[in-house]
Amino acid sequence: MRLSEALTIVRTPVPTPATATPFSLALMCGFTPLHLETFVNARLRIALPRHEVTIHSGVYGDLADNLERTRRESLDAAAIVVEWSDLDSRLGLRSLGGWGESAVADILDGAARRLTRLQHLIVELSSRCGVVVSLPGLGLPPLQPTVPTFLASSFALRVRDLVSAFAVRLSGYDRIQIVNPEWIDRASHPADRFDAGSELLSGFPYTISHASVLSESLVRLIQRPPPKKGIITDLDDTLWKGIVGEIGAANVSWSLDGHAHMHGVYQALLRSLAEMGVLIAVASKNDAAVVDEVFRRPDLVLPIDRVFPVEVHWSAKSGSVDRVLQAWNVGAESVVFVDDSPSELAEVQAAHPAVECIRFPRAPRDIDRLIARLRDLFAKPLITEEDRIRLDSLRRSGPIASAGVTAAEDISAFHQQASSVLTFTTGKNALDARALELVNKTNQFNLNGQRYTDDGLRRRLGETGAFLMKASYADKYGPLGVITVVIGHAGPGTLTIDSWVMSCRAFSRRIEYACLDHLFRRFDVAQIDFNFAVTDRNKPLRDFFAELLSHEPASAFSLPRQMFHDRSVPLFHTIEENVVG
Amino acid sequence: MDDLERRLIQCFAIVFPDVPDHEIRQADATSFRGWDSLATVTLINVVEEEFQLQIDVEEIGEFLSFPRFLEYLRSR
Repeated sequence: MRLSEALTIVRTPVPTPATATPFSLALMCGFTPLHLETFVNARLRIALPRHEVTIHSGVYGDLADNLERTRRESLDAAAIVVEWSDLDSRLGLRSLGGWGESAVADILDGAARRLTRLQHLIVELSSRCGVVVSLPGLGLPPLQPTVPTFLASSFALRVRDLVSAFAVRLSGYDRIQIVNPEWIDRASHPADRFDAGSELLSGFPYTISHASVLSESLVRLIQRPPPKKGIITDLDDTLWKGIVGEIGAANVSWSLDGHAHMHGVYQALLRSLAEMGVLIAVASKNDAAVVDEVFRRPDLVLPIDRVFPVEVHWSAKSGSVDRVLQAWNVGAESVVFVDDSPSELAEVQAAHPAVECIRFPRAPRDIDRLIARLRDLFAKPLITEEDRIRLDSLRRSGPIASAGVTAAEDISAFHQQASSVLTFTTGKNALDARALELVNKTNQFNLNGQRYTDDGLRRRLGETGAFLMKASYADKYGPLGVITVVIGHAGPGTLTIDSWVMSCRAFSRRIEYACLDHLFRRFDVAQIDFNFAVTDRNKPLRDFFAELLSHEPASAFSLPRQMFHDRSVPLFHTIEENVVG
Repeated sequence: MDDLERRLIQCFAIVFPDVPDHEIRQADATSFRGWDSLATVTLINVVEEEFQLQIDVEEIGEFLSFPRFLEYLRSR
């Protein structure tokens, strides 16, 4: 990002959406944050369009003191940028405190104490909000004139060792994330990071390009983009080397022997993605019988039972992608398509602009880039039970989605025999990682698109009358796990719903009706007020409300209890309830 | 107004978004509200980025008005 772009974003007033929530970030460093603050602010505004972003950057000069001062702030997140001069001012260009052998022992001793103090302050801060820490990225000053710059001095190695141990200690805490120095190294060459002129003139040590890269790494960790949900892969010269229709199932390869190891590495990555709940499908122009022969080979690294659905035929791949999206019931923006053919990629991209299309590399040297890119797109901090059962529940959704049960009485009969159980858990303590994930990644059945940070939602639930209700679902075909979350607040005779999301896997099971029925009963109110807003993606929810209201809502509305009961459908779920404070 | 001047006005407008174009052309650090040392650094960085050039630290003191910036760019 260019500085002028960032300034334009930051300085352009944007209309605050009615549902905007504040997002307060502490950007803590020992130098004047100048352009780093501008870039972080701009990137956060892009990442959090429905939030009002505020940045607290403290006072220039002392990182530890700045961290102490954050105790007075109410924060959603903190980004801490450590540089060498935070360990000892003599490690910065602005200090004239003396370089030379005599200073070395003193600096090392002081740096160890400084890092211990910083660690305590950062750990304490992490009890109040998520913290991202970036380690020193500039070069060390030529502290020992006797050592040439191409020789690693004992001092430099030891001070780096102190920082490394500091990072290891911090990484043991759940709410502290360390920026990966290797990622920074790839994006910003170490020789192009320091701007001595700027450091001396304004106290800002970074070049514009490095400030931009560093801000990107911080914001990516502060506000991680939602992970993709599925990957659709080609077969020939992608999952394996060779055209199976030409050389036969026995001769396609993914091993070192066949000089095809990069395809084996790719299969191994897909296997690990499948194990963490990522959906894997195949879209290939091929003869299905020949492909099936390869799928029966015992040396296949990707277990083929983890792949669903398999689209193997000679029709356009965009059609295959259509059917895969339908089978998975996910939006195109949640999906990655990998193929070695630029024309296939272009055809899919034209039909599905939101799908992320990635070309499988031709040269083995490029496989690590593909692996890194897929890791970044699919990485998630926590794998839930819902992730593990996702594929099985999609396979099981066949009886419901494709058994042709379209007539109302057929659907009722189907539900009646499904032995479904809905378990509601309600209370301020119902918030967990799965509930937060569902709120932040659901698009189609989403009341208003409102997203929350962990801390922001905890604060919201701390307010009088606020509650979170989630529900898990199971029927004779198996469990779906937690599939819906409602966030709202209740007062005497009133109930307002601020957020309501439901996983697309739970559609067609009348769970949305059961939720409303449960809310009316549990809170015993004559109407429910919905803080509804139209989003680009919440058409399924609008359709549901249109059935109840006889018109599609355009903004916040109320649903009278009598109207709901008059227009609801027969429900067959067994309801269980837990209250958790 | 030529292209160079238009681009320079754009740089000033990015750093001082509330100031109308005709005032930008008269801009001077001594009389301009909000033109402090950090604004000078930011302005120089934006101009460097826009015109793909590097301004020496020693020259910074000379860049305290719009006409001076323009003169510098024309002389290059």
